[in-house]
Amino acid sequence: MAATALTDAPEPGITRARRPGAARSLRYVVFYLCLTLIAVVFVGPYVLAFFGAFKPASDLYSTSPWALPHSFYTGNFTTILFSGGFLRYLGNTALVTAALTIGQVSFGVLAAYAFARLEFPGRDGLFSVYLATLMVPNVVTIVPLYTMMREFHLTNTYWAIFLPYTLGVPYTIFLMRQYFRSLPADVFAAARVDGASEWRILTRLVIPMGRPIIITSALIAFVFGWNNFLWPLIVTDTSSQQVLTVSIAALQSAFSNQWNLVLAASLVALVPLLVIFAVFQKQIVRSIQLSGVNR
Amino acid sequence: MHLADLRRPRTVRQTAPTGTTAAGRAAHRGRGIRRLATALPFILPSLVGVVLFLLIPVVIVLVLSFFQWNFLTSPHWVGFANYVAMTRYDHVFRALAVTAYYVLWNIPIQTVMALGLAILLNRNMPGLGFFRALYVLPFMSTPVAMAVVWSWMFNGQFGLINHLLSLVGIHGPDWLGSTHTALPVVAMVSNWQYAGYNMLFFLAGMQMIPRALYEAASIDGASAVRQFFRITLPLLNPTMLFVLVTDVIGSFQIFDTVYVMTQGGPASATTVINYQIYSTAFRSFDVGSAAAMSLTLFGVILVITFIQFRFFRNRTTYEVS
Repeated sequence: MAATALTDAPEPGITRARRPGAARSLRYVVFYLCLTLIAVVFVGPYVLAFFGAFKPASDLYSTSPWALPHSFYTGNFTTILFSGGFLRYLGNTALVTAALTIGQVSFGVLAAYAFARLEFPGRDGLFSVYLATLMVPNVVTIVPLYTMMREFHLTNTYWAIFLPYTLGVPYTIFLMRQYFRSLPADVFAAARVDGASEWRILTRLVIPMGRPIIITSALIAFVFGWNNFLWPLIVTDTSSQQVLTVSIAALQSAFSNQWNLVLAASLVALVPLLVIFAVFQKQIVRSIQLSGVNR
Repeated sequence: MHLADLRRPRTVRQTAPTGTTAAGRAAHRGRGIRRLATALPFILPSLVGVVLFLLIPVVIVLVLSFFQWNFLTSPHWVGFANYVAMTRYDHVFRALAVTAYYVLWNIPIQTVMALGLAILLNRNMPGLGFFRALYVLPFMSTPVAMAVVWSWMFNGQFGLINHLLSLVGIHGPDWLGSTHTALPVVAMVSNWQYAGYNMLFFLAGMQMIPRALYEAASIDGASAVRQFFRITLPLLNPTMLFVLVTDVIGSFQIFDTVYVMTQGGPASATTVINYQIYSTAFRSFDVGSAAAMSLTLFGVILVITFIQFRFFRNRTTYEVS
């Protein structure tokens, strides 16, 4: 069955019959070899960072970057984790990301449901306003947000880090609204005839039926929260509320040539995302394509 | 994608006989209020968020751009002075030029990489899903952490790149320390991170092109290359527009990688506009200038997005259902 496959999309002009078997299998080998070489480019930096993080400084500079560590040396991780509050920053990132994800998804579901399934005066106008804010570059709001947080004495608090991205995020609302609109209308009509309240319709119908898009939105929110850098960098200046990304950037300049340590720190940030990618790979690929198709 | 939605005509609502009588109008209004009351609890949290953290900040930044302020003393009204100053000091132009240079190193290569990967994977063979996942993987990485890893690999003394080059007898440069190579290297990191991500859009677009078109073309004797340029590429126009618009908007706002890899250096060679705005506001505490610069960036992005929409709308697109 694989034999028919080579004639698919990009080279439809080639017919199977004219192709001798040996040449065909050579083509397969070359094709998969190419794919593997490309994969090395995309995955290689992770592997090298992994090797580097498990080597003592002396080995890092004396062996090739792609040489396996002699013995998996964990000293870099213990040095990083138990010095200078790194564990605390890891906890801060986890906390802030969790708050951001829960808020963004729950308030997003509420708004998306209203925009998709309720009728109220000014709905479409309001939704246009939400969409228009998608055009505003992040950096435009950074300076005023900082002045607002100072005004309310919220700088150097967890609140300041996650609040701006928690209550209403137009992109998430847009994604979920599109999905909720595509759910069959007669189910909702039937529920209303039966006298179900809007709240009941939301919790019993919309949320179970919208599971895929809700998981997708949660993933988008999580990755955003975990990776967020510029805003936490600005709104926190004491170390107790610092997040992981900010502390990695600080380590990079503090230990400028101790690459074994900064690599270990970076790996701590990267591994949770790798795990999430491994678990939700299909969901993530689909969610990316979904955000493109909904244009 | 959002603009299309904005242009859509409003849905005409089927309302019960909208009264010509006063009583009818009152009833209509009453129903509207009741509907609003039902919807309000659902809308309110997000509305507070959008108003407080998106709309009010845009107004504030506009106001701040007419003041001179350092976050501490009371602000001074200076009219258009911040905007005038921008045209006089070349660091803003320089930052915009560096950003444009970065976008040029980023977008074309990244898009071609994404298209190439999509062509490779757009066939029905075993194991391609696995490779697709590996190519998308960098998209799921923390930019700050990955920038650290790439800084190490491009390090002039201990880096992998120069190590490899030395094996073939080439003495590699200090990549991030040279004004010639620092910016392309930073762009390369973004290309690496987002090529696989964009590939997914092109793959989705290619799968929507009817097979019959290719069959007809090969009967007419069109080569694979010709088919790509005459069928695949034109039919990918909507995907291309989406990818370019979102990528260019993102590319103009590059910050994390620059902050970690070069801190804007060497000699401002990588001081992109976002970095310039950040250091103007939070290192020089010149809030008014930073506000004026960020609004300028907003304007530039709007204009470029508009041009892209015009460019793609004027090109022939074939309706495929």
